[in-house]
Amino acid sequence: MTTSAGSAPARVTPSDVPLVRCVGLGRTFGSGRGAVVALHDVTCDVAAAEQLALVGPSGSGKSTLLHLLAGLDAPTAGTISWPALGAREALRPGPVGVVFQGPSLLPPLDVTENVALPLLLAGVDRKAATAGARTALAQLGLDDLGAKLPEELSGGQAQRVAVARVLAGAPRLILADEPTGQLDHVAGAQVIDVLIEAATALGAALVVSTHDEELAARMAERWQLSDGRLQVSAATSRRT
Amino acid sequence: MLGLTWIRGLIARRSGRLAATSAGVAIAVGLIASIGAFLAASKATMTTRAASAVSVDWQVEAQPGADAASVLSTTAAAPGIRSALPVEFGTTTGFEATTRGTIQTTGPGVVLGLPDGYRSTFPGEIRDLTGAPTGVLLAQQTAANLHAAPGDTIQIGRAGLAPVSVYVDGVVDLPQADTLFQKVGAPVGAQPQAPPDNVLLMPASQWHQTFDPLAAARPDLVTMQIHVQRTHQLPGDPAAAYTDVSNAARNLEVRLAGSGLVGDNLGSTLSAARSDALYAQVLFLFLGLPGAVLAGLLTAAVAASGADRRRREQALLRTRGATTRDLVRLGVFEALLVGGTGAVLGLGVAAIVGQVAFGTADFGATSSTAIAWGVGAAIFGLAIAVLAVAVPAWRDAKNLTVAAARRTVGRAGAPGWMRYGVDFILIVTAAVVFWLTSRNGYQLVLAPEGTPSISVSYWALAGPALAWIGAGLLAWRIAYVVLARGRRGLARVIRPFSGGLAETVAASMSRQRRMVATAVALVTLTVAFAASTAVFNSTYKQQAAVDARLSNGADVTVTESPGTTVAPAGGAALAKIPGVRSVEPIQHRFAYVGADLQDLYGVNPSTIVGATKLQDAYFQGGSASELMAKLGANPDGLLVSDETVKDFQLRPNDQVTLRLQDGRTKQYTDVPFHYIGIAKEFPTAPHDSFLIANADYVTKATSTNAVGAFLLDTTGSSPKAVAANVRSVVGTSATVTDLETSRRVIGSSLTSVDLSGLTRVELGFALVLAAAATGLVLALGNAERRRTFAIATALGAKTRQIGSFVWSEATFVTLGGLVLGALGGWILAEMLVKVLTGVFDPPPSALAVPWLYLGAVAAVAIAAVAAAGYAAIRNARRPPVTVLRDL
Repeated sequence: MTTSAGSAPARVTPSDVPLVRCVGLGRTFGSGRGAVVALHDVTCDVAAAEQLALVGPSGSGKSTLLHLLAGLDAPTAGTISWPALGAREALRPGPVGVVFQGPSLLPPLDVTENVALPLLLAGVDRKAATAGARTALAQLGLDDLGAKLPEELSGGQAQRVAVARVLAGAPRLILADEPTGQLDHVAGAQVIDVLIEAATALGAALVVSTHDEELAARMAERWQLSDGRLQVSAATSRRT
Repeated sequence: MLGLTWIRGLIARRSGRLAATSAGVAIAVGLIASIGAFLAASKATMTTRAASAVSVDWQVEAQPGADAASVLSTTAAAPGIRSALPVEFGTTTGFEATTRGTIQTTGPGVVLGLPDGYRSTFPGEIRDLTGAPTGVLLAQQTAANLHAAPGDTIQIGRAGLAPVSVYVDGVVDLPQADTLFQKVGAPVGAQPQAPPDNVLLMPASQWHQTFDPLAAARPDLVTMQIHVQRTHQLPGDPAAAYTDVSNAARNLEVRLAGSGLVGDNLGSTLSAARSDALYAQVLFLFLGLPGAVLAGLLTAAVAASGADRRRREQALLRTRGATTRDLVRLGVFEALLVGGTGAVLGLGVAAIVGQVAFGTADFGATSSTAIAWGVGAAIFGLAIAVLAVAVPAWRDAKNLTVAAARRTVGRAGAPGWMRYGVDFILIVTAAVVFWLTSRNGYQLVLAPEGTPSISVSYWALAGPALAWIGAGLLAWRIAYVVLARGRRGLARVIRPFSGGLAETVAASMSRQRRMVATAVALVTLTVAFAASTAVFNSTYKQQAAVDARLSNGADVTVTESPGTTVAPAGGAALAKIPGVRSVEPIQHRFAYVGADLQDLYGVNPSTIVGATKLQDAYFQGGSASELMAKLGANPDGLLVSDETVKDFQLRPNDQVTLRLQDGRTKQYTDVPFHYIGIAKEFPTAPHDSFLIANADYVTKATSTNAVGAFLLDTTGSSPKAVAANVRSVVGTSATVTDLETSRRVIGSSLTSVDLSGLTRVELGFALVLAAAATGLVLALGNAERRRTFAIATALGAKTRQIGSFVWSEATFVTLGGLVLGALGGWILAEMLVKVLTGVFDPPPSALAVPWLYLGAVAAVAIAAVAAAGYAAIRNARRPPVTVLRDL
């Protein structure tokens, strides 16, 4: 992972071809006097298999940056590309998996169907998608929840299912937007566990936005966002 | 304070749902206000029309020994009397005339003495046929019996006195003979008295010269009546007008203190009109109320589409300390907001509808009536809002836990009504009620003659009403069961839209089956309402045309004047007139059946069916073609009325001997016929009793082929325009009447009430409801699922894949609703026509289906669904994070 503020990438690790490359990235919401600058002049790379925490207080631009990395939003300044992943249109479903902050399971589909959905959207046939979903659920120890509806799950269970949904798609980049924001400490820890397990199992890069310092400390690297600006900071490696 | 903040928040953040709910209330209010005011205006029209159809409002008969002058002055001084004129009645032993060397005599008759100014005061009482309009006037049939014409001299027989000779000045028709010669003071329910066959009118002075000597000797043979015209300032409702008039009649009888009895012609006519008005009320209830109920259901559905959000909001408020009372209060505030807005909008819609459909915002009703209906409709609208918004909010606030309130899909099983088969129970009950209420002899509206009370058997309305509700619930059940148990089949059906997502989409629809089934039921109810209303109105319109055709006889009818003899060949000249497609001659004679004098029609069975558009409903025991074929196969065959069959206990092939007048000798001779069938109606024929025979046989039996009327078919041309052409050809030698004019003057039947305005209003509202039931409900459902679609998009769903969710559900709801609604509408229309059979005269032989309108309903529903689906998909194209952030 390489970051810099307002300059070209300072270093490239561990792969020569980054998954995502951001240059002078900016995102402003609204226009005129009411415009809000959420991100300002961010330059960074995300390399394969990296695991990092994106930290910062509420409103610092963590979610905005994550959405840009996922191709869910477009920048208003600078450029973003996915050199190792392809064009924006091909990111989802496919090489990028996203875990959202709030409830993100589709209410009328059961857990297995929710997990299989990205595969079906990618054109995988139903039998293979269902099998893939069951495997992903089993990997996370959630196979007993397969027939349940989202509203029958606890918040922690729902987020773990959301992780399983990402896992089923075997992405190369997992982006999690405050995945523990609405969970208690124990449930949050479980979700982070399964996220790290999933990313490791897949060999995928993992970017988790959080304002929980304890959680951030579990990631190999951390980025600090403040007022939409990405602070260059020393890498940490305190994975537990 | 919390309430105001909440309302401000709703307006700022939930304006779409509030507007949609208010629109539902507005439709209900607008429909009720429009239909109610139109009903009031229609009733007032019926009263005015009924009153104007009466020539002599009251016939006050002086009782034996009473002082005629006193009766006259008391009557003239009574309140509400515009004019009162004395009319003398003298009984004659018979008339005698010597014409062309032969002596003709008649049986007993009546001679009327009319005062000066009688004809101008009561213009509808006497119609000139030939000769002078004043002096001694012979009634048409009497002139025919005596072979007398203007200029002839006839003798009036007087019991015990020498006959008196008078010079005939003219021949007239007495259109109101039935009431003119009524038995005044006859007990209620007594058989009506047939008017005398022989009548002569003369000036009062001449009558006194002729009958005063008789009055001295036989006072029982002369009577005096006061013919009264009242001021027609009557209440709008025929029932109220009837009560007013009959009370006034009783008041006059009290004033006369036994010296006079009142024959209340105006009251009798209003009595008939009040039952027509009640029929109209039932009709409007039948056709309007379901629309208002539907609008209420739609409002509830729209409100319910935001129920999940409301529950989540309630859960949030609860976690912040809101009590149940607070939550209910917020629900009531929201209900009052949407109810009040909807009521104001609805009344505005009603005013616009009135302006467009009737040219006035108060629909022709009085201002007070319009205001009363407006206020009533507004209260109904508020009630809908409270039921649709406040009551569910109260129920949720009272019963739901925070966790339960967050649930959006749930695994709730079939609802209780479904488990207990309430839909089947309703349909079976509807069938039983329908069977009970549509059996022969059942009267929906009962207006006993002579009593102020009238009643409607609202029980009969229960049949179609229960069937409609049952159909809605059954549609719900069918949709529910298909979605619950037919998921695989559904996936196969929607695969063309959904591709690899078919099973997932089917699963999604299946889990949301309650919501989808509700949408299907709403569309079914709306389409059934629109279809049954349209078919009923169309059939009503068709029968109004048939009624007018029956009265007029054909598109254009040329009736030959009495005394003239025109052969069938005379029709050749008429056939050449532009616009005339065919000409059918009909013979008209008078024949004695026993002592009854009946109208006899001689027809050509091989041509009359096609030429005059005879309806199957005119006949009993077979179609028009079958009965005419039977008549054609039996030269001496005779079709008679049902009443005659009963009176004379006739059985098929019984010989019936009629006394017919010979064209050459003018003597009545016996002619044998054979009874072969029953005719209930026939063009130009009176309702009660008449006879139909072969024209050739009648010609042979009476030595004359004289035609009574020519029936002209003008298909493709305006009857009125063709009638004008015909008049220019025949001049005054015949009376020419046309269908369009006849349709306006038929006053005795409800079909004379022009429903076109009401039809426009109802069908317009039905179209709006169809659009709302499909488009609005789906649009709001889609709006509530914006988060779902945004998440799917974030997961990588393409627009086409989001579309597969949207279009599969929309297609299921629309197709299911249209098919089930069309089926339900057809059954309901059949039931409505049968239950309201009293409205139709004659009853229809088949329903008239307005395909164009029904096509428009389907098109509007499909267009509304397409618009809703397109809006949902367009919304799904927005960046998902933007949608998620906005939500």
